[in-house]
Amino acid sequence: MTSTFTPSAAPRLARRGIARLAPWLFLLPAALTFVVWVYWPLLDAFRLSFYEWNMLPRSEPRFVGMENYANIFELSKFSQALKNTVIYIVGLLPIAVLIPLAIAIYTQDLPERSRNIYRAIIFVPMIIAPVVAAAVWRWLLDPSYGLVNNWLGALGFEPVRFLFDADTAIWTIIFITGWKLIGFSTLILSAANANINPSLIEAARMDGASNWQIIRDIRLPLLSSTILFLTMITILLGAQWSFAYIVVLTQGGPLGSTTNIFHILWDFGFSSLSVGWSSAAAIILVLGFGALAFVLLRLVDRYSFHDN
Amino acid sequence: MLRRTLLGGLPALMLSAALLPHTAMAQTAAPSVDAPVTISFYNYNLASAGLGGEATRKLIAEFMEANPNIIVEGVAVGSQDMASRLQADMAANRIPDVAQVVFDSLAFVADNLGAVALEDAIPADELAAHFEGMIPAGLNLGRLDDKTYALAYTFSTPVLFYNADLFVEAGLDPDNPPRNWQEVRDAAAAIAETTGAGGFNGSLAGGGAAGFDWALQGVLLSNGGGVLSDDRATLTFDDPATIEAVQMLRDLHEAGIYENMPSEVMIEQMNSGRMGMLLTTSAQQNTLIRAAEGQYDLRVAAMPGFGDRAAVPTNSGSGLVILSEDPVKQRAAFELMKFLTSERGYTIITSEIGYLPLRPSIVDDPAYLADWVEANPLVRPNLAQLERMQPWAAYPGQSYRQIARIFLDAVELAVFGGADVEQTLTAAQSQAQSLMPR
Repeated sequence: MTSTFTPSAAPRLARRGIARLAPWLFLLPAALTFVVWVYWPLLDAFRLSFYEWNMLPRSEPRFVGMENYANIFELSKFSQALKNTVIYIVGLLPIAVLIPLAIAIYTQDLPERSRNIYRAIIFVPMIIAPVVAAAVWRWLLDPSYGLVNNWLGALGFEPVRFLFDADTAIWTIIFITGWKLIGFSTLILSAANANINPSLIEAARMDGASNWQIIRDIRLPLLSSTILFLTMITILLGAQWSFAYIVVLTQGGPLGSTTNIFHILWDFGFSSLSVGWSSAAAIILVLGFGALAFVLLRLVDRYSFHDN
Repeated sequence: MLRRTLLGGLPALMLSAALLPHTAMAQTAAPSVDAPVTISFYNYNLASAGLGGEATRKLIAEFMEANPNIIVEGVAVGSQDMASRLQADMAANRIPDVAQVVFDSLAFVADNLGAVALEDAIPADELAAHFEGMIPAGLNLGRLDDKTYALAYTFSTPVLFYNADLFVEAGLDPDNPPRNWQEVRDAAAAIAETTGAGGFNGSLAGGGAAGFDWALQGVLLSNGGGVLSDDRATLTFDDPATIEAVQMLRDLHEAGIYENMPSEVMIEQMNSGRMGMLLTTSAQQNTLIRAAEGQYDLRVAAMPGFGDRAAVPTNSGSGLVILSEDPVKQRAAFELMKFLTSERGYTIITSEIGYLPLRPSIVDDPAYLADWVEANPLVRPNLAQLERMQPWAAYPGQSYRQIARIFLDAVELAVFGGADVEQTLTAAQSQAQSLMPR
């Protein structure tokens, strides 16, 4: 015999009220985190971009209107930073997307042992601390006694001043950033590749498709959403990943050839203590990349191909 | 700013003199430390991995032994970050008690961070007794508007380190080092040609300057140029003498003997015996001596001048600043400062880190430095330069770091980037002038 429990009217209403409130309460910690750590600083940066200030509570921020924006655009270093940001993105795409794609596909069919060894080797750079990796690369690339230049010398070439020559420095940083990231992209692409239904591949093989045809017609379309996703995050975040290496290796030089918008906004804020300029650069960054992200998301949605 | 305006304003003075007879006139530090007190000491030598850190810890330990009531907490902060770290901690209400402030931030620290003038905290006769024996030019550096905000602590001038072995190999006389820039150029060219090592480098432009323009200012002053007008209102980057000096550096680069490289790399090259001459702070001395031991013959010469004129070295370095407003902590801080700038303090600073002794009497005193100077004559050219030293001009206003940045970027572009020297410096002057306080 079941005993029915009939709660009195008041607690039932209260329970319903709480039940309606419950989802919001569950969301509250995450939402609060967002507001405190993302939206409030963003709004504050927007506000500070119209002031001249050095972050001290004892000194008054001085309202300067659009002067900060005018000032930073006048700096040739700033337009150089913008141009370099584009170079970083374009330079990183092959290393962060194309090469890992090739590696993921070609290591797919290896025997398990060697496949795991290769993937471990490719992934190790990701777990080395960025500053440590940067310091070791600096020694390797040194023009006088670095190993890389020793080998080049043995092959008969002149030593290349990788990090000190304005023409090669940015490509060197792009290379080091990419080297560190290959593991990440390879991992993601390998996982996506492994998810492809093997019966599709078998069916294609039975129909006499060559390896290249399988890759072109089956693997690539099915990997397209992952590839587009990786492309999108490389475009949006690629220049930021190089920040640690710029700070340790070149400090934005030589002659401003390795700075990008992330580095220059940090530089304005913490090396030159000009919060107004830093915030202005940050707002420009948010607007620019926000527009870019919007366009990219639309493109990703349009061109992704899903199995289901 | 607010504090200083209040203290200087007559009505305020009269009012405070009437209401609180003590505040405006008497010194604020307690006469002695009777109960245990802890003070924080923000120091950038502690942040260096090497001799600077060890020697500073030794000094602090000796001081605490002699003053059991005072506990000193050293806070290691990189020199470039000192001003922003002090700001940040004050904003977080963690007021530092005493800090080692680089001279370029002196105006900023005094105006905006509330540095305590020594004349306001310590009785005049005690100050005078302590100042006696210190180089007046050194004490002047910490003065702003006739008040001492920073007690000169670590100090150095640019000196020319050179590799005597490379000199000999290139057919030059190591006992006659270059005395002016033309001789530097000739010597560097000879070294680069015959030995393949680097000719010359220095903490002047590009990566070598590492964000500070103090040594570059010395080169400009030696040619009669400079960065700031006497009334500290106008920047003089486009002064003809300044342009000429920068052009001289540009010619060194075009002759292939002065390459752009980060500061650590040029020191590494010197340490491995592959650089002929290095113009940098004498504070690097002990690190360079250690690396050169058993490898090559390291010698020191005075900073080269232009033509027949003697060079005008600028100082680099720091002063000790009291930031606390608590009377007991002010007294404890001053006791620490007295010890660090005493004969014993400078003995350790000079012999173990490499900065200049601001009490020249200890150089010949056998109880202090006489033996060390015998064994390391390298400090003598530095000492001899002290009389010609001029202060490192600190840019006024809130944007002083940005102004220095603009200047250094322009010089890097002019010297290493192939840009027209006059145009680049003139453009930098007008851009930076808009950041000067109005």
